[in-house]
Order: sequence, then structure tokens, then C-alpha cells
Amino acid sequence: MREGLPMRLLRAATVLFVVLWSGAPVALMVLSSFKPTTEIFAYPPALIFAPTLEHYRTLFEKWPDFLGTLFNSAAVAILSTLVTVAASVLAGYVYSRYRGTAIGASALFMVAIRLLPPIVIILPLFPATSLLQLNDTWAILVMLYATFFVSIGSMILKAYIDGIPTELDDAARIDGAGEMQTLLRIIVPLAAPGMVAAAVFVFVYAWNEYLFAFVFTTTDAKTAPIVISEMMGSLTGVDWGALFAAATVQLVPVTLFVIALQRFLVAGLTAGSVKG
Amino acid sequence: MRRFGAAQLLMLAPAQALLIAFIAIPSLYVFWLSFTESSYGTGTLFVGLANYEAIWQDDAFWRALVNTLLVINVIVYGELLISFLLAAVFVQGIPFRAVVLAIILMPYAISEVVAVAIWKFMLDPQIGSIARTLAALGLPDFDWATNPTQGLILVCLISIWLHLPFTFIIIYAAMLAVPKELYEAAKIDGASAAQRFRYVTLPGIAGAVLVALIFRYILSFRLFSEVWLLTAGGPARMTEVLAVYLYKQAFTYASFGMGAATGWIMVVVSGLVAALYVWLLHRQGFRKDA
Repeated sequence: MREGLPMRLLRAATVLFVVLWSGAPVALMVLSSFKPTTEIFAYPPALIFAPTLEHYRTLFEKWPDFLGTLFNSAAVAILSTLVTVAASVLAGYVYSRYRGTAIGASALFMVAIRLLPPIVIILPLFPATSLLQLNDTWAILVMLYATFFVSIGSMILKAYIDGIPTELDDAARIDGAGEMQTLLRIIVPLAAPGMVAAAVFVFVYAWNEYLFAFVFTTTDAKTAPIVISEMMGSLTGVDWGALFAAATVQLVPVTLFVIALQRFLVAGLTAGSVKG
Repeated sequence: MRRFGAAQLLMLAPAQALLIAFIAIPSLYVFWLSFTESSYGTGTLFVGLANYEAIWQDDAFWRALVNTLLVINVIVYGELLISFLLAAVFVQGIPFRAVVLAIILMPYAISEVVAVAIWKFMLDPQIGSIARTLAALGLPDFDWATNPTQGLILVCLISIWLHLPFTFIIIYAAMLAVPKELYEAAKIDGASAAQRFRYVTLPGIAGAVLVALIFRYILSFRLFSEVWLLTAGGPARMTEVLAVYLYKQAFTYASFGMGAATGWIMVVVSGLVAALYVWLLHRQGFRKDA
């Protein structure tokens, strides 16, 4: 296709603009975490500097609980991903292969109920979890994160399982496989990309979530985003170097994860949003 | 297609149990709470519609409602417009496509907390590089900490930054899915580029635009963290949105009843949006079948 120079320049400018818009803030933060304090505040920001690890040292000295909260974040994210994907495969399989009033009602309930704003349920859950001594535990966060992603997970998996020919499960059944065997041996291996797509969504959400973690955790189950928010609101003035070091440690693994699995994310977004 | 039995209901049970235990029952309880007066640790007292009346007369509520509606419209349509323009450029093919897409996706992986931190830093009047660039250009200060309008503008910016990947991917994927033959046919029939966009691209992506729009409406209605971490609703409760208003009523001002009533107002509004969503999807489905 032939096109004029102005058109090509416009296109290049658009691409450059969006790359800067999305990428520059993250790059600035990651680079600044390795800059000596004076360089962090230099204007204009320097691209070349003598890198230092002093902010990482400060971070682990002045915020010793940060490592523990990272561990909590990882544990909660992994557990809620497992719970969500397991519950979603089961439900997605039934929605894909069975029809009936109860099934339809259950699917409608699932789609409708997740539209409730999460903040609404913290009011009754806060006293209830204190009573059950679930406050400040991994369990409460895992359950809440799974709850808010089990609907989209089920819809993504239904869409994937719809694409698996029913002849395959019929053949397994003729060979004498039970329902669970069919699901585990036939459906799960073929629906694996859908499971990964659902997993990416929950994992990223659980790793980054702020509201529930802020309300339901205090010390034992505190997650990394909460520590970062505390660093930001510090009364003695913000130590930007240490804050950027913490943010970098928190964001780099999940960003690489998302970039590595981006095709699943894209597939999940299109499957879940168009059919869900 | 088979008929279901007890085994299938059991397979649905884990997902349904989570939704019932953590959303359905608590939200029904909130409904009851909204007719009572209580705060953490005290007994509850039935007060009828007093909480709803108190909210009706509370200026802070109306400001939070207006702020919410303004902010979500700016966010949702801002994202949609940017996604639209970007996708239109991207479908023509761009250099370094994989790298560019990876960079555009990046904010999807970033926590709201971290996003607020970096934008706060870049726009700090004393130390922020964007703020100092604006000053160097002779532009007036971007005074988001004391000026409520500018505070809300910053909330919108951060929110668009965080959620652009979501909207963009949906729109871009839909544009890529429009069959190439349609463009060829339109070209042969003598349609100009603008006409091809109007009569081929737009109808082809209408469904995806609708889905992105409603999804983002529902999700941005929950807006809490960006406001809470940036301004906490201040100065003088001028930048609160509904979720922040609810939280403060319940936990700062110890009025669970008013918080619960706000919650139910939010439920009703989201319910209306949800009903619209289901209705539009159904209509779309019927049209496809026809």
C-alpha cells in the first residue's frame, strides 16, 4: 500500500506517544530506584547515572516487614489463582455441556451478582470476619479474590470448552469414563490455554489488590501494596528512593509475567468480554 | 447437549458457594443494615428510612455522586476515544509491533498504589519532572493537592493510564477481526477511506465497543483506591466519589447505617447498568441469529 510521508509521520508520532505514555512512568520509577538520591530529583531526569543499590538497602533496613508482605502477596495470589481456576473449570464445563433451567439460572446469577461493587460487602464482612477470627489471614483474601473472579473465569472457560468437540467426551463416556474422569483426562488438557487465561486475570488482580487488603489485613497477612501505600503516606516525609525500590520489586515480576503470557490475556479478554 | 443431574449441580457448587457466601448474603445483610442505626461494636436499632433521608440531605453525598458520574464518563469515553484512534493506526500495521504491544500492556500489570505513587511523583509541584516542565513552559501550576477539580483530573489521568490496555485490546482485537474481503469489496465499489471506516469498520466493531463500554462503566463505578490514596476525598470532602463516601461514612464517621444505605444506592445504580448490559447483549445475540 502506498501512502504519503505525512501519513507515515503521523503514524510514527502516534506510536511514539503511546509508548511514552504507557512506558515512561514505569521506566522512570525503575531507573530512579537505582539513582543516588540527588539524581532522583535532578531536572531534567538523567538517563545516564552511576547506579547504586542504596535505596534497596534502606528499604530492607527501614521497612523490614516488606519481604514478609511480598511473601504474603505471592501466597495469596497463587492460592486464589488455584481456587478460582479449579472452581471455574468445573462450572465452565457444566455451562458448556449441559442445559436446563437450573443451569441457566445459575449462569445468570453468576453474571449478575459480580456486578456488585466490592466496597458494599466490606460493611457486613468486617464484623463477621472478626467474629470468625478470619481477619488478617490469607484465607479471607483468597476467598474474596476468588469470589470476584470466579464469574469471569467460568465464562472464559465455558467459551474455551465450547470449542472442544463433544464427540471427544462422548467417546470417553462410551469407553466407560465417569464425569470427573472425562473432565480431567479430556477437557482439562484441551482447555489448558483457557485456564492460563483465567489464571492471568486473577493472579494480577490478587497480586495488586488494595481495597480488601487494606480493610482486612493489619500485620500477619499484610500484602506488599499496603506497605507501599504506607511508605507513600509517611508522616516524616516520603523517602522516594526506597519507595521506588519497593515499587520496582513489586512490579517487575508481575509485569514480566503479563508480557510473557500476553497472548493468553488477549485471548481471555476477547473470549470473556464477547461471550461473557 | 445433555440433561443435568446432581453431579453437575455439585460441580457448580464451589463457584456458587463463593458468590453466595461472600456477595449475596453480605449484600442482603447490607440491605437490612441500611434501615438500622449502628456503629462498630454497638447494638443495632431499626430506624426505617432515616439513613436514606440523612444521605438525601447530605451535601457531601451529592458531591460524591456528581464527582462519580463526571469522573467515570471522562474515564470511560477518554479510554474509548484513545483506544479507537490507536487501534485505527495499529490495524494498518506498525513497526516493532510485539514490543509496542508489550509496552502498551504494561500498565495492566501495575498496582493502583504504585500508579498513584509514580503520578504523584511526576506531578509534585516541587520535585516532579512533568510539573517542572509545565512551569518551564509558563503554564499555570497543576495544583491537584489543593484544587478539587485538578485533583479529580489527576484521578482521571491515573485511571485512564491503568485501564487503557483493557479497552484498547478489546477494540483492537475487534478491528483485526473485521474480514479483509469487506474492505476489498467496498474499495471496488468505490468507497473512500472515510466511507470504508464508517460503513465497514464501525458496524464490525460495534458489539465490542458496547461490551468495552459497559464493562468499563461497571468497573470504574467502583473507583476507590486512586481517590483514597491521592486525596482521601479532600480538601474538605470535595473530591470524594461514592465508594470513598461510603467508606468514610462507615469507618471515619462510624455510621454503618449511612454507609449501608450508600451501598444499596450503588447496588441499584450498578443493577440498572447491568440490566442494560444483559438486555443489549441479548438483542445483539438475536440479531446475529436472524
